[in-house]
Amino acid sequence: MTGIAPAEGAASVPPLAGRPASTLLEPSMMWLGRLLLIAAVGGVWQTLANRHLINPLFFGSPVGILGSLWSGLVVKRALLPALGWTVIATLLAFGLGSAAGVACGLLFAIYPAVGRFAEPFIMAFNALPRVALAPLFILWFGLGLVSKTAVGISLCFVILLSSTVAGTRGVDPDLQTLGRTLGIGGIQGFFHITLPSAIPTIFSGLRLGLVYALLGVVSAELIGSVNGIGVELSQFAGVFDTNGVFAVLVILAVVGGLATWLMNIIESRLLHWR
Amino acid sequence: MGTPIIVVRDVSHAFPGHAVPALTHIDLEVRHGEFVAIIGPSGCGKTTLLNLMAGLLPLQGGTVTIDGGSPVCGHRSIAYMLARDALLPWLTTRQNAEFGAKVVGQRAVERRERAGLLLEKVGLASFENAYPKALSHGMRQRAALARTFCLRSPILLMDEPFGALDAQTKLQLEDTLLALWQDEQRTVVFITHDLSEAIALADRVIVMTSRPGRFSAVVEIPLARPRSIRALQKSHEFHDLYLTVWSALEGGVTA
Repeated sequence: MTGIAPAEGAASVPPLAGRPASTLLEPSMMWLGRLLLIAAVGGVWQTLANRHLINPLFFGSPVGILGSLWSGLVVKRALLPALGWTVIATLLAFGLGSAAGVACGLLFAIYPAVGRFAEPFIMAFNALPRVALAPLFILWFGLGLVSKTAVGISLCFVILLSSTVAGTRGVDPDLQTLGRTLGIGGIQGFFHITLPSAIPTIFSGLRLGLVYALLGVVSAELIGSVNGIGVELSQFAGVFDTNGVFAVLVILAVVGGLATWLMNIIESRLLHWR
Repeated sequence: MGTPIIVVRDVSHAFPGHAVPALTHIDLEVRHGEFVAIIGPSGCGKTTLLNLMAGLLPLQGGTVTIDGGSPVCGHRSIAYMLARDALLPWLTTRQNAEFGAKVVGQRAVERRERAGLLLEKVGLASFENAYPKALSHGMRQRAALARTFCLRSPILLMDEPFGALDAQTKLQLEDTLLALWQDEQRTVVFITHDLSEAIALADRVIVMTSRPGRFSAVVEIPLARPRSIRALQKSHEFHDLYLTVWSALEGGVTA
């Protein structure tokens, strides 16, 4: 008997394109709908503001917000350097905080005793609202780049630490058994099985960490800094320039959205096997 | 042929917190190139016995000799196949097939050639660059089969490798396994709870009973080789053996 049975057909995964979709769910229609919603809300808002049914001093108006954005980003460009400083601090906080968090998490995975020892400290630090550290950091590092980066790091670090630990603990037991029967333990098993298993969880930590790095930096800027988008925000609020405040919020939403989008692209490239 | 490659002597095993031992006084010799199936109800200790041979569990009483040495995890004479495929989801079919051989230090040229050949034999050649998520259950288990055979180990320990598959796929994979085994004459210890699977594959079927786990019968399977699993389904000899093993399983009658 030498006949080998053929493979039992291709995997039963139908191509995504074969999914029956109503025209309403097509991406282009979806985007059109979203734009219409924004236009409708903006229109109502503008009308209410024009007729003074809501107080523009407190609520601004879409036209006013667009004006502030135009002036801040294109004409006077006062918001551009501020945005630059915030982005630099966020990237620094994200890079350093993530690297340290992942490194510590991997250390805990390799030496579980160290992890158990450190756990209460990490938990206590995690329970502390990190933004409350900002005054201390400002005292230590001044009003420049370092103090707000430090706040961002303090948030990002713990997120990456816990997601790395969770990822290395969530390894499929079957894969562990396979590794044991092949006699791979220690460092070899770590690099062949534990680390790759942990990557998806680490990645969701990175996505969250980036958003929290931005949060930490902007919060620190609101509390005190010489530059940054948070500084602009608190100045606009201080002089009742509500349109300016909304303009900054729009910028932050766009920056945060871009960052998440970028992370998704990197993730789908790196984790194409999922 | 004839010399035992696996020797189990008076092995007993108990799990903490369980009054009844999982295994009591097990004796077993498996010859070079022999295909032994161990069958029994779930919880009879058959997987425990396999895991003791694989070194996955520490020996409590008795001795186990594997290819002249003691059973340890990562014993180069042993390739272990699990009930689930345990494919690494981040590796392609080919990389998975090569994985075992790679980590035990087989040369790249050799394992590449072997993996290619094995993937062809298990019918996955055209899926060598696919990731496990794109494969069906049966295909994944084929890939695991290729990974197991890519190791040059003379002993294969298989823990219900086809237990989770549908009947059709199971028959195909049994045929594939027999073909691979025939080509290389390795020693196989195959755990299953499927009677016809045990009889169709093995030279010898060992029937276990539970509480405590022990051998209740050993049935030699004189069916001619090479065998075709499909043809066997219609053979009278096969069904007679089935009845023999079945009654052994039910009442502990020794054949």
